[in-house]
Amino acid sequence: MKKVLFWAIALRLLVAGLIFHPDIKTYNFQSSFLKHGVFNIYTYLVDNKKSLTLKDDFVYFPLTYFAVGGYQWAISPIIGAGFDSWLADASSTSVVSSPNIFKYLIILKLPYLILDILIAFLLMKFFKDREEGKKAFALWLFNPFTIYLIYAFSNIDIFAVLLTLIAFLLLKKDLPAARLPAGQGRQGNLLQASALIGLAAGFKLYPILFIPFMVLKARGLKEKVLVVMVPLLILTAIVLPFWSQAFIQSALVSGLTTRIFNPGFSIGFNESMIVSLLAISTLFFYAWLIDKKISPFNYWFILLLLIFSFSHFHIAWLLWIAPFAVILSVKKPKFSLPIFLLATLALMIPMLYQDRSMTISLFRVYSTWYDLIPTPFAVLEKFYDPYNLQSILHSIVAGGSLIIGFKLLGEGRRPRGSMARRGDSK
Amino acid sequence: MKKMIWLTTIFVLFLVLVVPGVLAVTLDMIPAGDQPGYNSNQRLSIYGERIVSQKFISKEKNLTAIGTSIRNPNLKNKKEIILNLYDESNKLIRTSTLNGQNFQDGDFVKFIFQPTTDSINRTYSFTISSPLAGPEETIEVFYFDTPTENILEYTYDEKSYPGGLPIVTFHKPDSKFQVVRKIYSNLFSRLL
Repeated sequence: MKKVLFWAIALRLLVAGLIFHPDIKTYNFQSSFLKHGVFNIYTYLVDNKKSLTLKDDFVYFPLTYFAVGGYQWAISPIIGAGFDSWLADASSTSVVSSPNIFKYLIILKLPYLILDILIAFLLMKFFKDREEGKKAFALWLFNPFTIYLIYAFSNIDIFAVLLTLIAFLLLKKDLPAARLPAGQGRQGNLLQASALIGLAAGFKLYPILFIPFMVLKARGLKEKVLVVMVPLLILTAIVLPFWSQAFIQSALVSGLTTRIFNPGFSIGFNESMIVSLLAISTLFFYAWLIDKKISPFNYWFILLLLIFSFSHFHIAWLLWIAPFAVILSVKKPKFSLPIFLLATLALMIPMLYQDRSMTISLFRVYSTWYDLIPTPFAVLEKFYDPYNLQSILHSIVAGGSLIIGFKLLGEGRRPRGSMARRGDSK
Repeated sequence: MKKMIWLTTIFVLFLVLVVPGVLAVTLDMIPAGDQPGYNSNQRLSIYGERIVSQKFISKEKNLTAIGTSIRNPNLKNKKEIILNLYDESNKLIRTSTLNGQNFQDGDFVKFIFQPTTDSINRTYSFTISSPLAGPEETIEVFYFDTPTENILEYTYDEKSYPGGLPIVTFHKPDSKFQVVRKIYSNLFSRLL
């Protein structure tokens, strides 16, 4: 196990040090103001836009600012004097040509490495069978997707992913009241899980999409109200000190809300049907009115599949589902190949965006000469419509995801032993 | 599981060692340096008979393109934009023509021509013009006042000034292997 871990870390450091996505510099530059005592980064950036070298808004939620900024404060004595000027450097060439670039990239991505390894250990806890746990541990550490998503794209979503995973671990341990010792209610774990969902939403908003499903899991009005209120109050407490026009514009009305709730097709009189919301709503009402035994894991997995199926997702979002895909692949190996195929196709879609930083620009640390190379989008455009290819890939992903979803729901509803009975009849 | 370990290892090594090499092979020209900084408020208008001329030294052989940032306000210019390259004796040696509709306002635009093999350390001049454009179809190039090692002087409205356009010259490499080798050697020299 030590050898496996060592090799996994070595591979991660290679990608972390050599592949550069500009977002890491942008949000680290913005978070560097915490060291200088800036509390409200949203209004600070708007108020000081003219004098700042990098003028982007801070699009993340407050806990990201404090986590990244806090880490920078902690490492500031060891990272060297030139770090702050490197962060503030707006020149796209000198940034990647800096002799310290490898050091900076590895140090800045170190928290992700720690959380990444932590996720690997956490995954083992989802399995009673020790061997299955080890499989999940190894599969998390050795799959091309998560290494690419976390270290190439400097994926800050890993904070929310870890907290969501812990929430699901608590839900898994949420035993029926009858099986718990006297005086220990099942409410505890469900509420702790919902609190973690609220905390995760302080980094990234997407986990709150699961609250309606947690309500279904709760028993009794009091518990249902608490399951809604606890995460919302935590999120409100995190967000409230920053509530301003700047926060609303830059973080709240962000990619998540605009992409997931993007209107789909018109139903007349200026109204549109929002496809991803329609799908999520269908899933919710199915869980409420049809499913008699709700499996939080299945619903969370299907909900994420629906988001990726029906919205123009950012490549970093794929990390949201990754640990759950590992669990499913180990628990039900028949899903592992379809998941591998769908993950490959889903990764290919953003590579066809007209955005250089999805492909060619990732290698700018090697040479800025790559700026001369056209993107896959531009190359493909000469032969075929890249948007059409994106649509084809997305449609395949959606089709496969729907079938996986149906299968999971079907298996969730099937009475115990029915599979064996079906097998017997053959 | 061993299969996944192998697959992941191959993927990572492919990503960090092979892909950069494959990308390098696709480069059919390489820049001689970075684009010099410029003040975006210092601009020269080009339309009709208003042209700009720039004297420069090519620092590499096989000069095959000249690039600079060009403004095309409101994308109004949809006419020909011509770069003529002259040698030291002011003889026209290359011409490259683009159309204003092919680039966005402020784009870094490359004028590509057949390579001039013996260009290393030779002085050249070029003109940029858009002879069919009227004043409402003006394009603008940026300029700076201080000459650099290779950007010597520019001429505008028949007057010459030190400095010039923030240009980058591009050169055809002798071989694909040379580009790959340069990229990896540059990377490893920075790593070690």
